[in-house]
Amino acid sequence: MLGFLLGRLAQAALVMLVMSVLVFLGVYAIGNPIDVLIDPAATPDMRAALIRQYGLDLPLWRQYGHFIGNVLSGDFGNSFVFRIPVLSLILSRLPATLELAVTAMLIATLLGVPLGIWAGYRPEARSSKVIMAGSVLGFSVPTFWVGLLLILFFSVEFRLLPSGGRGPVGPLGLSIWSAQGWTYLILPALNLSLFKLGLLIRLVRAGTEEVMGSEHVRFARAQGLPEWQVVGLHVLKNIGIPIVTVFGLEFGSTLAFAVVTETVFNWPGMGKLIIESITALDRPVMVAYLILVVLLFVVINLVVELTYGFLDPRVRLKGGA
Amino acid sequence: MRHGRFALTGPAVRSYASPEQFRPRGEMPRAPHNSEGVVMQRRQFLSAGVAATLLPALPLSVMPRPALAQAGGRTLTVGVRTGPESIDPHWSTLGGHIEALRHIFDSLVGQDENLGLQPGLALSWKAVDDTTWEFKLRDGVKFHDGSDFTAEDVKFSLERIPQVTGPMSMTLYTKRATGAEVVDRLTVRVRTNGPAPSLPNDFSRLMIVSHRIGMGPRNEQFNSGEAAIGTGPFRFVKWEPRGDLVLERFDGWWGGQQPWARVIRREIPNDAARIAALKSGQVDIVNYVPATDVAALQRDSTMEVLVGDSVYVFNVYFNLAEKLPKPVKVDGREIEKNPFLDPRVREAMDLAIDRRALARVVFEGLAKPMSQLMPDNFFGSSANLPERRPDLARARALLAEAGYPKGFEVEFFSTSNRLPGDSALCEALAQQWSRLGLKVIPNALTGTVFFPASTRGDYSLQMSGWGTLTGEAAYTYGALVHTKDAAKGFGGFNRANYSNPEVDRLLEQGSAELDDAKRRALFERATEISMKDRPMLPIVMPQTVWAMGKGKFAFTTRVDQETLAHRITPKAG
Repeated sequence: MLGFLLGRLAQAALVMLVMSVLVFLGVYAIGNPIDVLIDPAATPDMRAALIRQYGLDLPLWRQYGHFIGNVLSGDFGNSFVFRIPVLSLILSRLPATLELAVTAMLIATLLGVPLGIWAGYRPEARSSKVIMAGSVLGFSVPTFWVGLLLILFFSVEFRLLPSGGRGPVGPLGLSIWSAQGWTYLILPALNLSLFKLGLLIRLVRAGTEEVMGSEHVRFARAQGLPEWQVVGLHVLKNIGIPIVTVFGLEFGSTLAFAVVTETVFNWPGMGKLIIESITALDRPVMVAYLILVVLLFVVINLVVELTYGFLDPRVRLKGGA
Repeated sequence: MRHGRFALTGPAVRSYASPEQFRPRGEMPRAPHNSEGVVMQRRQFLSAGVAATLLPALPLSVMPRPALAQAGGRTLTVGVRTGPESIDPHWSTLGGHIEALRHIFDSLVGQDENLGLQPGLALSWKAVDDTTWEFKLRDGVKFHDGSDFTAEDVKFSLERIPQVTGPMSMTLYTKRATGAEVVDRLTVRVRTNGPAPSLPNDFSRLMIVSHRIGMGPRNEQFNSGEAAIGTGPFRFVKWEPRGDLVLERFDGWWGGQQPWARVIRREIPNDAARIAALKSGQVDIVNYVPATDVAALQRDSTMEVLVGDSVYVFNVYFNLAEKLPKPVKVDGREIEKNPFLDPRVREAMDLAIDRRALARVVFEGLAKPMSQLMPDNFFGSSANLPERRPDLARARALLAEAGYPKGFEVEFFSTSNRLPGDSALCEALAQQWSRLGLKVIPNALTGTVFFPASTRGDYSLQMSGWGTLTGEAAYTYGALVHTKDAAKGFGGFNRANYSNPEVDRLLEQGSAELDDAKRRALFERATEISMKDRPMLPIVMPQTVWAMGKGKFAFTTRVDQETLAHRITPKAG
């Protein structure tokens, strides 16, 4: 188990290193960030002074060396645009994205799994056909468009919910503690969950259909177990592994790249931060953000794999696996 | 991206949660650590999910919107496209930055809606000799901490800027000043490196901070409010990068009582989201309404739309270098010669442009044809440059005369996300030129790629926007048409590589001429010569649109596009 964790950590460190090199090379290939940041009316003298001030006159490997040196001492540097520490800039947005992503995943799971099981359990029923048709809409209609429709309906037409922004923030930097916070959260979370909902329904249905025909379900029925127990226990546990895998991947990408929803609903999360940092060539933010995203994915994958072991005792975790 | 090109920055991010509020304890999906079996696992699913989060959501999802008005006076909520980058007014020259901080701080010199100078914290100014300006300051002005505003604060602010300013360097506006001297409590003298007639214009963007804060405070101390002490109409309450800027009225403001007890500037960079916020009543006013939404808002009987001119002009720059970075092609073969060096080619391309059609089609009528780099009423604009109308027959003749009867092929670059209509305008221009037989390949690129490449000189033909934020010609013509000259500080944005000794002489003379009438004449001459040379073609000036609830507010649009709460008044009723 320890070997497994250490192997994972070493992998993560390597990926982070590669990622930071790629960002440095990428920004270098695009051009000098100062040319995006600078006031166009600035004189050539001012431009030269700024390039020196930000260390952008140094050869790339030395800029990278400085950066790595600082990171090792725990300093990701300051944002070019805001001149405040990058880490606090990114982490200040994490709670917003986290609550959005968790709420969206919960909506998707709590609706998607039961609906998918039903559709797999009774594939011929009319209700199942409706569910499946709905799931196709879920992941084929663009998020952006659905978001605007939701705003048009709930905010502009009926004025039930705010059109965007985030409610008052409570403990842990989360806005879920107050009723008002939820009025802001529910629409973007719903918008973000639709794709995952569609995906989960289809995944769960396919799994259920397969498992329903298997030996152990027949045995369970033969044993005279009530139908709810057969489905809720034996079927659910057997379709667990693909669900958890997709859940993990989707959760990671929701956290890191909820850009579209965050933009439409003006949600102050991390996705918008990274997009803005890219357009401003704010290299310190880009590097730190992507390193954190790698870390995030590694942690989620780790959790997912540990869950496998729990769901299926046949899975054994081996070092470096 | 920033002011000067266009104040309309692209996407942005906002945050409400402050760093202190964050604890690195996320809500990761925990692996069930209980091994008692499936029933237990299911219960965990349910308890974590349904009970804790979804149930409270359902009954609450029909909560009324938060009331905008609060106790103790009126609140004005403005939905803005961009906000400040910090609360330090000396950090950035970005249009949205200065606009936001004008609520908290005052500039030394004021500007009216058309950027004409007017008294601000300085009541009057005069040049006492060739290299010294004297500013007489307003008496009785108080900072938000109750202390008096004096000449010390002006001197301090001037000296502070070079030490704290960021990449959008404020030294742009103070580079002519070499030192300040406090004559008495309300008189300050500024020494300049040579005659600097535009210093008062530059100082319309010189924000005054209190000298009591000392040289120490940087962005962090301003963002926390600790050092955010100005003389402006509002006190700072709170702000997060790309989040809401919350302000409350400062009753001791020298500009008189104004109506808003509280002002919230909500940053909503996405156009559709900003309009939705207005329509759903979450904000009272929005700026930068996209041209495509204007018609719908005008049809809406509950909405009012205001259209104002801007200081921004789209310009097409020919690259006049001896050798083009990417040669043009004739009959599919690259040629050595740079066709743009021939004035007939430039005139032909100018005559092929139908500016009225561009304004009508690309900007839905919300743009004006331009024939010079600044609006007509600015200091140094010429009255002798009539609107340029298309003349295709003559254009074709000129092109043939220049030796390109069948045209040539060239790539044309512009930004795609920096200003409304930029990529559409790029394509429309390419089409209009195709009527001459030219094959112009439009390339609209994100500013992230465009600006570094443009600075490197990679483009043979390009377009970008430029705004004359100081309201006078030295700022624009000195940077765009004067020969590149790092030593003298001219030609910093001369993308055309244009060089005309006569224009240079006029601009240099004008920049050192303290007599307003003489200076104006010199600039007008430089404007006329350079515009007739056509190193760059001014195309159109896009207008700015605000929208608000019908009959609710009175407000005069400004050409610098600033939406200032203390210039907005509620209408009776």
